[in-house]
Amino acid sequence: MSVIEYDVIVIGAGVAGLTAGSWLSGQGLKVALVTTGEPTACLSTGCIDVCAQNEDPLQGIAHLPAEHPFHLVSNATIHQALNDFQQIMTDMGMSYTGGLGKNRRILSAIGTFKTTCLTPSTMQTSPQNENEKIHIITFTGLKDFYPGYIISRFPNASFSIYNAGVPTTMGIAANFEDDTFLEAFILWLEKQNIREDKIAFPAVLGLESAMSVKERIEHRLERPIFEIPTIPPSMPGRRLFNGLKDHFRRKGGVIYWGWPVAGVEKTGRQIEAVIAESRGRPNSLNARAFILATGSFVGGGLWAKRDTIMEKVFNLPVFVPGGQEVWFDQDYFSVNHGIGETGIAVDSSFRPKGCPWDNIFVCGAILAHTEALKNGCGHGFAIATAQAAAQCCLEHIR
Amino acid sequence: MKYEHCIRCTICVENCPVFRVNPEFPGPKQAGPDAQRFRNGREKSAEEWVLLCSQCKRCEMACPCGVEPAQIILRAQQRYGLEHPHTAAHLLFANNYYLSTLGSITAPLANRFAATKIGKKIFRRMGIATYIPFPKFSFKTLRGEKKARSREARKVAFFYGCFINFYRPDIGRKIIRMLQSFKIDVVLPPQWCCGLPALGNGNTALARSFARKNVASLSNYIDAGYDVVYTCTSCGLCLLHDYQGILEIPEAKKIAENSFDLYEYVLKLITEREIKPNFREVNRVLAYHIPCHLRALKIGYPAADVIKLIPGLQCRILDDACCGLNGSYGFKKINEATAVQLGRRAVSLIQKTGAEAIVADCGSCRMQLSGLSGMDAFDPVEIICESLGIKGKK
Repeated sequence: MSVIEYDVIVIGAGVAGLTAGSWLSGQGLKVALVTTGEPTACLSTGCIDVCAQNEDPLQGIAHLPAEHPFHLVSNATIHQALNDFQQIMTDMGMSYTGGLGKNRRILSAIGTFKTTCLTPSTMQTSPQNENEKIHIITFTGLKDFYPGYIISRFPNASFSIYNAGVPTTMGIAANFEDDTFLEAFILWLEKQNIREDKIAFPAVLGLESAMSVKERIEHRLERPIFEIPTIPPSMPGRRLFNGLKDHFRRKGGVIYWGWPVAGVEKTGRQIEAVIAESRGRPNSLNARAFILATGSFVGGGLWAKRDTIMEKVFNLPVFVPGGQEVWFDQDYFSVNHGIGETGIAVDSSFRPKGCPWDNIFVCGAILAHTEALKNGCGHGFAIATAQAAAQCCLEHIR
Repeated sequence: MKYEHCIRCTICVENCPVFRVNPEFPGPKQAGPDAQRFRNGREKSAEEWVLLCSQCKRCEMACPCGVEPAQIILRAQQRYGLEHPHTAAHLLFANNYYLSTLGSITAPLANRFAATKIGKKIFRRMGIATYIPFPKFSFKTLRGEKKARSREARKVAFFYGCFINFYRPDIGRKIIRMLQSFKIDVVLPPQWCCGLPALGNGNTALARSFARKNVASLSNYIDAGYDVVYTCTSCGLCLLHDYQGILEIPEAKKIAENSFDLYEYVLKLITEREIKPNFREVNRVLAYHIPCHLRALKIGYPAADVIKLIPGLQCRILDDACCGLNGSYGFKKINEATAVQLGRRAVSLIQKTGAEAIVADCGSCRMQLSGLSGMDAFDPVEIICESLGIKGKK
């Protein structure tokens, strides 16, 4: 396998990896992406959180601590990266609403509001306060989505239940791809005599054709509808992943699935190749530069032992905020767990600090000082740092 | 078999084609790591639903934690097969190799019978689905091919697999001619079914006996300096993974180290500048359906890389959908509805690309996709030979 030479190998198929990969492919480079499995983006709400600390996300970023890696990305690049993202998703038939000017709120499955920046258009009309009149549709046997949570907070909400024949998110979403099912569902919906202004659904309105399903229901019911993100399996998360992945492919990128990096080849200050576990001959892929976008702990980029934290691919030095006593807050639901700062510290060109190699660039949730939970820096942060790191990588190669 | 590593993220469930359309199957998470906690050696296996898993391995490719749900389920399937009587369909498909040997000897008769109404009725009685026509047995198998020996430095032992041998020996001959045009000496070593159909139908013992014979035969060729080349991606997966894994064949590692997917091999020779194929323009718009087992081989998509070198050819790669047939899986009546629904979805994705024909490495994918769509489905070698100007004789 060492026969194929790439310009860049991206490690990690999440939002950051796919964004960096697509951007570099778009610049005419030969890019491969290797990944252990599918990313945590599939488990996400599909919303693009840039910075939830302030009504204005850019203001929020400006107020982040000095060491926060968002400061390594210029405002122009953030704008460009998010515009590119919106364009990509529109091209892939899954458009996004919102902009960097102002954060938005979307309704969660427990009736609270989540602050985010860009939302899938299927959540465009999500209510902005508890007094809005909404009617919630749920499905027989669907676990993990109970309209009661929302109704207890919304005085003007009601619900009805449809039997989709299957009780799972995946199964119902697959049914919505079928025209006959959708038509029968719309007829049922028309018979419910819904009086409320908006109709809410758990996010199960199809997988590939969610936008057209939404439009068709809206057209027939003559009022806005919106999706509420569910816990995994999350259809909006999967749509986001599929969109970015297909775009990367269209740009000429190649993906190696089930390809956990088990070793590296290096000479001097250069990484030459990454090697995957194999039952037969060693699988290795050569490249001139590498982008590390393996995510944080859940994504699999970082590995915590009792007293140390390691980066799994290159064994890069990891920034850890003190001893174990500061890793966790007493309150489980706190957003201030010290461990949120853990990650790879980078210089202004997204190269890891204290790293013996010159051709590694790091982006996304694995970066140190991100504190994604506290700052509300999610996919938006991944998109922006990915584009910035990809630019640095391009400069290095040229 | 690392079921403790499962973090229950459900990414495998999202990727399971069967779960998407068949509510009877609880999905790879429940059937794999979840149920594994309750499986023990003392109680008889009572979970008939493990047989609904098609072993496409998509869950394994998607798992971010390296859990291998399909492996766990495969072992549960073998256990179930050991403790319960097999249905007629399972027995027949496990012994597909012997059945096909008989079928090709009696080819004109067997093919005609399989296409008649009575034939189909009998098949359905036996629990065999007939929604797409059976592949036609070929009277002249590839095995009987006369050897055209030459004295080239590079030598290949071709593991052609049952599909090519019994149904499409013409593709096998094209492969041989293509390799010969690259100045490679091709031999057909003694070989048996790879064992995957037996494994897939719960007969570990039969699979192991096939595997032992194949390993003994191929091993001799490797010692004599041959590279083993396979073209069926499922045979390849069985040779490389299952021989070392569930079948625990000694010497299997040696086979894995010296076996190449046909196009992986060609690509290797091209990049090492050993060969310089003169690809001529082919004006086609194709949709390349990636077989699930090619993904599972983790070697990338080498045939796609070779095809990309052909001028004029437009080829869109589709790897999100399983065709649904999964070898003998979809031919069982109990799985027919699942196979048809999955096949239709794969076909609709292909038709959206506007392609005029389908390319796929796997014979059973091609059978399903062309059967359900009416489009032509080619093996990559057919396209490559068209470009190289190599004409096959029937």
